[in-house]
Amino acid sequence: MGLGAPTGLVDTRAEYQHVFDIYVPIAIGVFALIVIATLLAVLVYRRRPPERAARWYEHDRLEGGYALLLVATVAFLLYITFTAEHRVDTVAARERPGLVVNVTGSKWEWHFNYPAYGIDLYSGAVGRQDLVVPTGEAIRFRLTSVDVIHAFWIPQLRYKHDLIPGSVQDSTLTFSRRGVFAGQCAEFCGLLHSDMIFDVRALSPAEFTTWARSQQAAGGGAA
Amino acid sequence: MSATAPAVTTVSRASSVFGAAASTDHKRIGLNMGLASLVFFLGGGVMALLMRTQLAQPHMQFVSDATYNELFTMHGSTMIFLFVTPMAMALAIYLVPLQIGASSIAAPRMVLAAFWIWLSGGIIMQLGWLTQEGAGRSGWFAYVPLSNSANTPGVGQDLWTVGVILAAAGLTIIGGCVLATIARRRAPGMSVMRMPVFTWTQLVSALMVVGSFPVLILAMALLYAERLGAHVFIGYSGAIDYQDLFWFFGHPVVYVMFFPFLGAAAEVIAVNAHKRWFGYAAFVASMLAFAALSMSVWSHHMFTTGGVTNQYFAFTSTALVVPAGVEYFDMIATLIGGSILLRTSMLFALGFFLQFLIGGLSGIFIASPVLDYHAEDSYMIVAHFHYTLFAGSVFGFFAGIYHWFPKVTGARLREGLGRLHFVLLLIGTNMTFLPMFFLGNYGMPRRIADYPSHPGWGTLNLLETAGAGVIALAVATFLVNVVVSLRHRDAAGEDPWLGHTLEWATSSPPPRHNFERALPPITSYAPLLDLRQRAADRNGAAMTRVPAGRAGLGPTPQEDAP
Amino acid sequence: MRGGAIPLLAWACLLAVLMAGNWVWTGDAIQVGAFGFAVLVIVLAAAWLVATHRGAIRRGPPEPPPPGRAEAAPDLSFAAVLAAIAVASILFGLTWAYFLVYFGGGLLILSLGRLALEVQAARASRELHESRSLPDSAEQERGP
Repeated sequence: MGLGAPTGLVDTRAEYQHVFDIYVPIAIGVFALIVIATLLAVLVYRRRPPERAARWYEHDRLEGGYALLLVATVAFLLYITFTAEHRVDTVAARERPGLVVNVTGSKWEWHFNYPAYGIDLYSGAVGRQDLVVPTGEAIRFRLTSVDVIHAFWIPQLRYKHDLIPGSVQDSTLTFSRRGVFAGQCAEFCGLLHSDMIFDVRALSPAEFTTWARSQQAAGGGAA
Repeated sequence: MSATAPAVTTVSRASSVFGAAASTDHKRIGLNMGLASLVFFLGGGVMALLMRTQLAQPHMQFVSDATYNELFTMHGSTMIFLFVTPMAMALAIYLVPLQIGASSIAAPRMVLAAFWIWLSGGIIMQLGWLTQEGAGRSGWFAYVPLSNSANTPGVGQDLWTVGVILAAAGLTIIGGCVLATIARRRAPGMSVMRMPVFTWTQLVSALMVVGSFPVLILAMALLYAERLGAHVFIGYSGAIDYQDLFWFFGHPVVYVMFFPFLGAAAEVIAVNAHKRWFGYAAFVASMLAFAALSMSVWSHHMFTTGGVTNQYFAFTSTALVVPAGVEYFDMIATLIGGSILLRTSMLFALGFFLQFLIGGLSGIFIASPVLDYHAEDSYMIVAHFHYTLFAGSVFGFFAGIYHWFPKVTGARLREGLGRLHFVLLLIGTNMTFLPMFFLGNYGMPRRIADYPSHPGWGTLNLLETAGAGVIALAVATFLVNVVVSLRHRDAAGEDPWLGHTLEWATSSPPPRHNFERALPPITSYAPLLDLRQRAADRNGAAMTRVPAGRAGLGPTPQEDAP
Repeated sequence: MRGGAIPLLAWACLLAVLMAGNWVWTGDAIQVGAFGFAVLVIVLAAAWLVATHRGAIRRGPPEPPPPGRAEAAPDLSFAAVLAAIAVASILFGLTWAYFLVYFGGGLLILSLGRLALEVQAARASRELHESRSLPDSAEQERGP
């Protein structure tokens, strides 16, 4: 797969879209089928005298066959899901990251630390600095929290992961195109949960290097 | 099951307030519990309206952030612990003994005590509103460490914890009593495989209650100890352990809130199609599998924590497709060949099945971890569970109310007002909850008191708020219907709908010990339909018969009819 | 009564299979523990049903009760309501007003005493009825 990711890196957005494009049409088809069958049955068998109601009440072979069809559907959906999940969770974790960012959640602020550059950025209830990332490179986010559970969600990437105090968990993500994307805390974390937001600015690798140099020159990134 | 001696009357039987409050009649307790849950439903609904007003447009600040957090916590807690679950139990307390031909519920004093324990828990939970720091405000699942005393100080959260313990304890005891009633008090002739469909759904719910609710009580007791200063849930593993314990209750409970209403809708569909429920044996088997699977899916709430084996839970969650698909097959096959009357109860029952379908299908969607990594904690989840619980269970609840109201009160609800109620609720529900799927996919997280003014967000949220208003109108219509129908009674008689099950073989409302006449012979899960069909055969009425020789399509079951 | 334990055991078996799957697949102690608790509760409930009535494990419809057997059904139970309120006050007292713990404790003892009286009165009434009504027991054979 690796749909839409020219670099061959795992693209969470593409993986999501791949599974979405299989699940949602099936769901819409099933919904339409059941609604139509139900409404047709109601229309056809409406208002006949009660004595005319049929008396048959079971057909085990038909129902068994139908259950087997459902089992096959489940197997197919799980195959799709497990292969995509393998890429998002396992293959991505094996990639060599071009950049590591330590993400620390606290009430109600994000702290992004770039250990390779000595840059610290903050975004949340007190002010907003963008999380700046290069495109086309695997970025390893090392997620942790100092107080309660938060969740690091970038809707554009169709991915989130929890920040749980007492653990550091890695998520490896790739931005395939330049732009500014919204990000926010997805796990309710108390009073100002709705203010725990940030923007991601994805730059080309060259732009990113320039930005990082200028930040370093400005002395650790108090932008 | 056994003969009933004259009651031991400890106090002269009063129709007074005390008599109604301390009665051990299962019908009285069921009615009390139903009414109390309905009051909590209205309260939870007001909280929802306040939240929707806050969210009508970005940056409204109709209520403060703190109040908003209390509102969504208490809305969820009220609806789950104090309305849908207890309402399902109230239906069990009232109807299960009648459906199985019993004179009373097992251990009526325990049921009575459990009702009061649950009600005290509900009141104690709501008392939090009167405290200085406000009511519980760490979400209805109160994750640690957010819910500990450092992060959520104050008596309100303590009262919430104690309230949940009491409510869950009451519900657990009731579940046990329903289980004992079904196991021990079935009328002679009612084998397990002749129990009505609704009773089966209540049986599997009771199994889940007994197996999973004690784990919630444990989790809440540990949380309470944690709030008092004990270090119970420490660090990462503590946070994950709490979530495991909570969701081991928290997922089964959503099926406890679903199965009884599925049973109610199934009864309504069978009765209004004048045809017994299709595929009984397959239905029973699938209910048992459904309930067992739904005890084993809980950690799909924890896909993004990195602390659980996602594949196992994706597997069990997706496997729910099989039993759920069988229910839908049975529903459509019951309709086919029937003689369908679209009474209000039938409209709600069909609405239950078709709208729950959206909740169910979106549930398969989020059972896939890859999709859930995006959907988790977003408005997609909010849309999903409101389609199951509101568009599903609440529609099933109303189907049951229109169906059994005449049994409980002796009077029918008005059909005209009922249809208006249905149409308003249908419009309001979809206006409110459908846009949430799109907002969630665009990136709106749940539980935020304010949202950025991205293009389209304000419009969709305004639509949802308007929809919530329509739902309020629908509920008001229902209340008017109840008042009008009780004031100007349209007497229903014993069996206004040509019912299939034993509760329709006694007066409306049933006498103190349920049946004063001999019960009809119990020949299948639809004994009254059997009677009518045999009578029609004797009278030589022209009956539609399926040609003989078609596999599995037989006539009325009559095995060892007396 | 007859057959009452069968659905419980069938369900406990299904649950045990899913628990085994969870054990193999996740090996998570707290998850297997929660599962094990649920299986245990249901098996114990089934065992209790069988112990009180051996027919609970046999297939088939329940039989009519033996003639002349009666059952006392209380109409009201203030003891049950008081016990519930006592339990609620104890827990409420823990969070808010400590004296309510003592109040609830006292109330609980009172209500349990009252409950004993109620149960005793019910038994006396049932025995009186049974001793009197043996001749016309046919009336009651089907039940309520």
